[in-house]
Amino acid sequence: MDHIIKRKKELVKEFSPMLASFSLTSKVWIGFLIAVIALGLYAFVLQILNGHEVTGMRDNVVWGIYIINFIFFVCLSYSGAFIAGILHFFKTPWKNSVLRIVEIITVLSIIIGPIFILLCIGRLDRLHYLFIYPRIQSPITWDIIAIMTDLIGCFIYLYLTFIPDFAILRDNCENVPNWRKKLYKFLAIGYQDTPTQREKLHKITRTMSAMIIAMAIVAYSVLAWIFSLTVQPGWNSSIFAPYFIVAGLYSGVGVIIISMYLIRKYFKLEHYIRKIHFIGAGIILLVISLLFGYFTFSEYFSRWFSHKVHDINLLNTLFNKYFWVFIFANYIGVLVPIVILFFKKFRTIKSITFAAVIGVVGLWFNRYLIVVPTLETPYLPIQDTRPEFMEYSATWIEWSLSFAGVAAFVLFFMLLMRLVPIIPMSAIIDYEREQNRKPKMSTQNQK
Amino acid sequence: MKDKKTEKSDTNRRNFLKLGLMSSVTAVAGVSLVNNFAEDEVKKSSGEKMRLLTPDGKIVEVDADNINKYPEALITPAESRKGIPNRKFVMVIDLAKCKNARNCVESCQKAHKLDYHEEFMKVQLIQDNEQASPYWFPKPCFHCDEPPCVTVCPTGATFKRDDGIVLVDNDRCIGCKFCVTSCPYSARQFNWGHKDKFDDKSQPYSPETSVPAAEGTVMKCDFCPDMLRQGELPHCAKACPMGVIYFGDKNEDLVTNGEETVRFSQLINDRGGYRHLEHLGTKPNVYYLPAVNRQFPLERGFDVDEEIIERYKDVPYVQKLKKEGKI
Amino acid sequence: MKTTFFRYSVLILLTGFLINTNSLAQENDANNYKMLFKFKTVKQHDNSRLLEVSFIGQNKEDRKDKIPVYEAEIKFYNILSDDEVLLGAAKTNKEGIASIILPVDQSYLSDEDGFINFTAKFEGSDALDEEEEEILIKDLFLELNLAEIDSVKTVLVKANLKDSLGVETPVAELDIIISVGGMLSKMKLEEDTLEDGEFEFKFPTDLQGDVDGNVTVYAIIDDHDEFGNVVQKQTIKWGIFNKETSKVSNTLWSEAAPIWMYIVLTILLVGVWSNYIYTIINLLKIRKEGKQLELNTEN
Repeated sequence: MDHIIKRKKELVKEFSPMLASFSLTSKVWIGFLIAVIALGLYAFVLQILNGHEVTGMRDNVVWGIYIINFIFFVCLSYSGAFIAGILHFFKTPWKNSVLRIVEIITVLSIIIGPIFILLCIGRLDRLHYLFIYPRIQSPITWDIIAIMTDLIGCFIYLYLTFIPDFAILRDNCENVPNWRKKLYKFLAIGYQDTPTQREKLHKITRTMSAMIIAMAIVAYSVLAWIFSLTVQPGWNSSIFAPYFIVAGLYSGVGVIIISMYLIRKYFKLEHYIRKIHFIGAGIILLVISLLFGYFTFSEYFSRWFSHKVHDINLLNTLFNKYFWVFIFANYIGVLVPIVILFFKKFRTIKSITFAAVIGVVGLWFNRYLIVVPTLETPYLPIQDTRPEFMEYSATWIEWSLSFAGVAAFVLFFMLLMRLVPIIPMSAIIDYEREQNRKPKMSTQNQK
Repeated sequence: MKDKKTEKSDTNRRNFLKLGLMSSVTAVAGVSLVNNFAEDEVKKSSGEKMRLLTPDGKIVEVDADNINKYPEALITPAESRKGIPNRKFVMVIDLAKCKNARNCVESCQKAHKLDYHEEFMKVQLIQDNEQASPYWFPKPCFHCDEPPCVTVCPTGATFKRDDGIVLVDNDRCIGCKFCVTSCPYSARQFNWGHKDKFDDKSQPYSPETSVPAAEGTVMKCDFCPDMLRQGELPHCAKACPMGVIYFGDKNEDLVTNGEETVRFSQLINDRGGYRHLEHLGTKPNVYYLPAVNRQFPLERGFDVDEEIIERYKDVPYVQKLKKEGKI
Repeated sequence: MKTTFFRYSVLILLTGFLINTNSLAQENDANNYKMLFKFKTVKQHDNSRLLEVSFIGQNKEDRKDKIPVYEAEIKFYNILSDDEVLLGAAKTNKEGIASIILPVDQSYLSDEDGFINFTAKFEGSDALDEEEEEILIKDLFLELNLAEIDSVKTVLVKANLKDSLGVETPVAELDIIISVGGMLSKMKLEEDTLEDGEFEFKFPTDLQGDVDGNVTVYAIIDDHDEFGNVVQKQTIKWGIFNKETSKVSNTLWSEAAPIWMYIVLTILLVGVWSNYIYTIINLLKIRKEGKQLELNTEN
């Protein structure tokens, strides 16, 4: 047991600079993020005071960037939940490095995503009507239930993985301010790493992981059904739910790769986040991007081939007005990652991250192409002369709120990393404990 | 000496006259100015006014009897969820007679206090394909029997009543706009910003009148149940000069356009009545009679504002007319 | 001095009047209006008689601009040579309509041919001229019977004139309209001529009627030279309305959702939340154990 206590001390010593560091770059970064968020808040206040007129949404395109951001972040969250749940069942060492990153992404995006939906609601003062007068035939009610359930579930799951680390930090922090000591003590809820406690914790974490995987699938479908259960051309597709799952996973893996890259770089964690992680994630990204390309192709191909009038009108809008966006989202966004990841030669850490960036941005535009063109080509033609009623173009308020959302995501990520080390120490200790129990079967893949 | 005196008195008289004339002229101008401004004020601050002739020959303005006879006839939002008993309202629009007079649009806008661009009843120009002949298409809300908009409302702010009418309750709507996206006929509109008319408290709100509207909520054609309760046709049907819009009760099997009353089943049978986008399964309650044996040539309908003609610029027929220089 | 003063006064006057023309254009007096005075009589279904006057001013230039005359006193007379019997008086309402209803047993002065002279008068005022209009009609008694004769639904109409002794004289020829009433209007079933005071009409068998199967049948004489307007109505259960008892409920668009939705939702939510509760219970157990250990180590 002693060597475990010693090991814990070592790990804390290794990771504590990360917790306390407030270097100049991080200060500048945090300042910049707060500025972006402040601008977003100002835009929000303007929207509250002047009504939704200040956005670009009008009577035909009533859902714009807010809904797109909502879908993007919520899909990100569900994919994170899915991946975290699955990763939990693997017993390899490399999963430890990414597990916490995935879980934090999950929780943060499911907090940021619904905020965008609130921005799109016309009467925020009546939000409680959703809970007093709910109609369960409405896909929005299902979505609210799914999001809330998922939010609580992911929060609990994240907390469960934090507990042993809080315990380690509580026992081994000497040079740490008092409030931090108290915080760790409170959050560790008396976890002493006894065998019974450990077993209980592992049991409930296991059931939660299984539950989270199932919930992610259900919640994905519910989100997709908001669109696919209507009759509108472009939305009423039978494969929307699986499509959303694949697309969500695409963005999820992409964001994970990007965060791995950034964290590895700024916190000098080359020892823990290694090239093999990137290659592994890259291969998963490759498979998912192939699937994503396949789903997107089937969607548009069947519409083009059967050339029903309203589908053709929709495709005309996509290929004329949104031509470059379409090319970027569905060709470049799919092909570039495939090319980079397919060839062993191209697989460097930097290039894989670049592929992930292209993938994530391409996916955002793919969401745009799902929401907006359908609303611009309804069954009965829009016969209007006001340009903002015929086409949608987002205003600075919508853009600034979008960037504020992203900035909030990054900011909270950074703040969370100061609370708990990004590499779960308890997971490392658990793994080593497992290894010591089976010395002959140690399969330490170092690089 | 005498000259000087008379001169002085002359000047005095002149000055006095000048002063008198100037002051009286100013007074008259001032009074008329004040009169006009006062009248304008009275007009602005009051509600609905009507002009009447008194026996003394003076024209006065009095408060118009509110046609809905409020407050006695107020149907609260809770009561409006139950429909007029034993009715199933239906509308039939005769496309053969429509000539884009837009009286329906304007009378609806006046009755519901809508702005120029807000139209519960829209008149579109539809040309199904290049060879087909275009026709004027008045389009209210269809009050479908299986409404996709009601299905998706998360708070029950829009509801279908037993008499077939689909209404929106402004007090319950949270403005999520899901219903706007799910209506395949684009019949719904959203109030994007604040308008002064929302603050008009002269009439208590009822979903049956859709007045006053509220910011951040959805609004649409409501088949004027307030008029129906008084045995009157909806405003659009009443206003149409050609008798294009028939309205009635499917249970009674009678529809009327104000001039003639016919049997609904017979009208649909004889004239081949159909519903729009039937295959979507919404089961609308507005039937259309095909544009055959038209009463007027289509060009008569272009006698409207240029801005309105500009709305139809994508219709092939309009493009042809533009090329020929006829518009 | 003189010219500037002159200019000044002209300027003031002009501006005053220019601004004033706003109100002038509003037509604050009745000079531009032509008065339309219309008088009609309707014999109603309970045999009471309605005398109605519509008094409206129509703009001479803009014929669509009509203003009703309000609170004008209209007097209704029954005139026979020199006898003027005042039947009643009424003031026009906000729509310019003044009316009185005379009961069934009202006696009228009629001339040798049986015509009753009804006159409506507006006394006139300083601004409005005196108006008068007369109607000469005979008092017609219209009878409407609905009966099933030989299992055929028949509408029987009788039109008679009654003299002072109550002797009935059938009317020779009379145009009559049979219609059926609906919520918003009446539908014309038949327009025909009554012969010798009697008319028979076979009622169509496929009319819906209202929700209880009741139809209201109207026999109307419309604006006849001799008789004015006469309306008679009867209600009978000849409608074939089949009330659909299927009430739509538990559908996607009704207030109550399909039952299976409730069931599925409950199962899912109970499953998920019971897992959460299980997790939290175990966390509390961990905490308890931790506290125990702390106490033990302290001891």
